[in-house]
Amino acid sequence: MPQLVTVKVNRPDRRPVRVWVPVLPVALVLFPVVVLVVLAAIVACVVFRIGVVRALGAAWRVISALPGARFDIEQGRTAVLVAIR
Amino acid sequence: MTEQRKDILDMLVAGKITAEEAEQLIAALERDQAPATGSLDARPKGKVKYLRVVVDATDNGEPSRVNVRVPLQLLRAGVRLAALVPPQALVKANASLSDSGVPIDLTQLKPEQLEALVEHLDEVTVEVDSPDATVRVFCE
Repeated sequence: MPQLVTVKVNRPDRRPVRVWVPVLPVALVLFPVVVLVVLAAIVACVVFRIGVVRALGAAWRVISALPGARFDIEQGRTAVLVAIR
Repeated sequence: MTEQRKDILDMLVAGKITAEEAEQLIAALERDQAPATGSLDARPKGKVKYLRVVVDATDNGEPSRVNVRVPLQLLRAGVRLAALVPPQALVKANASLSDSGVPIDLTQLKPEQLEALVEHLDEVTVEVDSPDATVRVFCE
């Protein structure tokens, strides 16, 4: 499961922004929202006749496979970096 | 023909060994050589973990660079998630793709085929060079 998401934004004539987001504490704070999202996903699965367990399992696999992903985009003096650890 | 095989045949011609003995010697020679020649294919592949996409381009005179690293495990998980897409959604996606001039039938794309594709991605290297852009797709 991802533990830390790093976001860096460099823009010309502005101070660079660096944000480190600890995933677990943020997920705990947003727990009510997470529960609502999971409930909505379960309802969607039932409506579209998709196995709820399979769908939740596949979604969990995607979330657990995220660590190591890195997206680094630069154009001129503007740069955005998103790294998941 | 290897030097050793030639020596065996020479001994056979000279009458120093019989045909059966020559056959046994050649068989033994082939047994010894098989692991050596097959070692290149049989060597353990380095465990690749990430798919990398690197794009270096010049856009309106400004250099731009895209550097993406995606875990292969994420691709596998995505394939499993995509397998859950309901058929009616695939039909709508097919219609939209056809309207956009991309006549691909997504219902014919099986999850097993996608998984096989991801499994063999480690052998893929794509390099595109053009005067104003370079694209590299590879695994590491």
